[in-house]
Amino acid sequence: MALCRYLPTPSDRMGAIWSLLSIKDAVVLEYGPAGTTHYSVSLFSAMGVSPDQNLFCTHMSEDDVIMGDVTRLEDALTEIDENYTPKVIFVIASSVSSVIGTDIKGVCRYMQNEVNAKLIPVETGGFQGDYTVGMREVYGLIEQNLVGKTGTAPKTYNILGASPSAYRIQSDLWELRTLMEQSFGYTLGGILGMESSVDTLSALGNAEINLVLRAEALPAAQKMQEKYGIPYVYGTPYGYEGTGRWLREISETLGVPLSDAIQSELAERRDTAIHFKMYARMYRAPKAAVMADYDTLNGFMQLLREICIEPTLCACPHSLQHIADADASIVVFENERMQIDAFKKLDQHLVFADEISLHLCNDSNTKVCVSFPLVHHGQIARHLPLMGLRGTDHILESVDAYYRRLD
Amino acid sequence: MDGKKLQNRMKHLSEITLAKEIPQLTYAVFPGNHCPLMGAMMAVRGIADALLLVIGTDECTYYTKQSTIHNESFGGLDGRCVSLVLGQHDVTFGCKNTLYDTFEELMQEYQPKAVFLVTTCVVEVIGDDVDSMSDELSEKYGIPILPVHTEHFKTENHLPGVKDTITACFEMMEDVPQNNTVNVIGQRLGNFSETELYRLLVQSGVEMGMMLPSGTHVEQIRQAASAKVNIVVHPIGLPLAQKMKKAFGTPYVLFDKYVSPQKIYDLYQQLFTYLQVPLPDEVQALYQQALEVTENARETLQGISYIYGNTPIDCYEYNAFMVEMGMEPKLIQTVDYPGAEDANLQTILQHYDPYVVKTANIAPLQAVYDVLKPNLYLGHEYADRLQKKKIALVQSDGLSSMLGMEVCLAAIKALTIAANHARALQGGTV
Repeated sequence: MALCRYLPTPSDRMGAIWSLLSIKDAVVLEYGPAGTTHYSVSLFSAMGVSPDQNLFCTHMSEDDVIMGDVTRLEDALTEIDENYTPKVIFVIASSVSSVIGTDIKGVCRYMQNEVNAKLIPVETGGFQGDYTVGMREVYGLIEQNLVGKTGTAPKTYNILGASPSAYRIQSDLWELRTLMEQSFGYTLGGILGMESSVDTLSALGNAEINLVLRAEALPAAQKMQEKYGIPYVYGTPYGYEGTGRWLREISETLGVPLSDAIQSELAERRDTAIHFKMYARMYRAPKAAVMADYDTLNGFMQLLREICIEPTLCACPHSLQHIADADASIVVFENERMQIDAFKKLDQHLVFADEISLHLCNDSNTKVCVSFPLVHHGQIARHLPLMGLRGTDHILESVDAYYRRLD
Repeated sequence: MDGKKLQNRMKHLSEITLAKEIPQLTYAVFPGNHCPLMGAMMAVRGIADALLLVIGTDECTYYTKQSTIHNESFGGLDGRCVSLVLGQHDVTFGCKNTLYDTFEELMQEYQPKAVFLVTTCVVEVIGDDVDSMSDELSEKYGIPILPVHTEHFKTENHLPGVKDTITACFEMMEDVPQNNTVNVIGQRLGNFSETELYRLLVQSGVEMGMMLPSGTHVEQIRQAASAKVNIVVHPIGLPLAQKMKKAFGTPYVLFDKYVSPQKIYDLYQQLFTYLQVPLPDEVQALYQQALEVTENARETLQGISYIYGNTPIDCYEYNAFMVEMGMEPKLIQTVDYPGAEDANLQTILQHYDPYVVKTANIAPLQAVYDVLKPNLYLGHEYADRLQKKKIALVQSDGLSSMLGMEVCLAAIKALTIAANHARALQGGTV
């Protein structure tokens, strides 16, 4: 990788930590120099994740690095187990411990006899790829070690792959809950990736269906299907038609019909969308660009196509190596220079992206933030989704603003 | 958490003979100390036309850039903090080729007057010879390219990063004729031009030269040897001042943030003697005022106990001062040990033998408060949490932008306010 002028793509380790921090009664212990832990706090806070009392580090001295001494890690494990009595301690490698080859797994294996908490080693030390690699790894570890079945919970569903790194995720979760309640009378069982606890994770196997929001959570969903027979629906409800398709797929999987109320709401929204198709024809060739995580990107591409706008630039900030059948038009920039050039070239586009990509666009473009990283604002609202019917209402206001600027 | 067990892990100040013997209160820490990479970032921030190139993992480079985005001194999002993100290939085979490619891009786009090449933990573990790469690049591009090593596993906190960055600036300095300016070295926080010391220097007709790292340019650093005196306002500036004294004969005065009126008065005298300028009358007046305020506070502070966290003032000098005011240190958090011969250390030990632990680990302190039961806490803590334990917080952040007798006056004011608050919290029983 060459010169990086802005923010680099977060690493596997970063993705792993922000996915683990939302598990109540679990602790994340980093085996590495303390400065990285201290530095990371502001990013996690921006994502709405509190590391207070559940993120710790051991620090490492020169002696530890040279001699490979893990006493500090052993002592920290015993101490956390005694002082905080967590149910689980995730022991995560740092870049330094990865380079010197610390056997985190081995330490957890023998230290398991000394502590009450379940020890789970996380070996994503920052060199295995981007954050999606870390998230995939962590979802897999949670499924393997914590997810179980304690009974049955009729009319409940789980959400797999909700992530604090997804912009407006709190609002999206609110929208998904509303849609599932309104459409089927189903309530949320648990979430993999956010707002969970060891207990809620241990009961994920009780639900009737898993809704998978990100590709990184697919392996966990497949395992849960094998182990507990829980079917899953993979996809995200973006756009009115997209939301309708998503709900129908859930309906078919559950064998439960959509409620009349949601069918009537969908029909009403279809009428609204007709105006936007008409605008697209009036303005001949409206132009759009999207940059976001794969599943958000995919959702926005569908939404735009639904209103007859063909995006000219579809970019993903992370590797697509684990994505099956990714749309061929999706670009992953090899370096930052390519991203800068691509966004600086945009003219009179409707751009859905993160705040750095938006910063690169000139002012002839209509810019809408749909993704991290954030630079100029924080997230407070929990009622402004990007997904579902209310999300599409919200996004179409930006599309409307774009057409007004083209006038 | 068991406060008694934590107490057993602490050491008394008299037991310490080296800084590394100061125990950590717990093995698992949060948030932990900042790393020297952040210190390097803070130092380069003050050199307006220099560029910071961080060589590190995605994580180190991400967080460093994130810290600078809202900083106008760095130029914000498009600013002069950039990075080379290490990939697996660089870690396996070394980062030289990637660094040279990066530099080509960097020179085309930014045309900096100097570049600080800041390495991080992984670069140091794999042993890349960034010093020789810097030399080669400096020769190729004809600008100063200064390596700064910031591996955190060798240091306790971020200050070595500031120190090493400003010390690296020595390489840019030229032997130039002397004039009547003074340099200010080592001011990390606050604005020197808002201090009492600055005001008195300007009133006496003294001109400012290089202010490193609080606000300077590469050209000012080049000309820094023209100064008549170096004022070192924090010990992190000492290595540079010592190098300048050796190379150019520039004298220096260590004028840190102190609270003792006599100490501050002596430093003013020493500084103005070097400058060959009469000591301003105002210094005498401020000295008398500080003595009076100190004496008046003695009764209020007598018998007040405290835990010392972290303040902008010299740790051992401040603690010695408080002890002499009749206060009782229960616990001192520090990563420094000044040596057994240090006069301030001896003053503290003559009266008390407080516990000592490392800084930046506030989570377990909650249990310690119940055991040590101090009246005051000096440093960064949550005031509401302290209040529940009937402990008053001493506000010290304002001292960052002070130098001179004003530090003494403000510190005593903060201590007396907090002491009165503590008495109120405990129903006037202290």
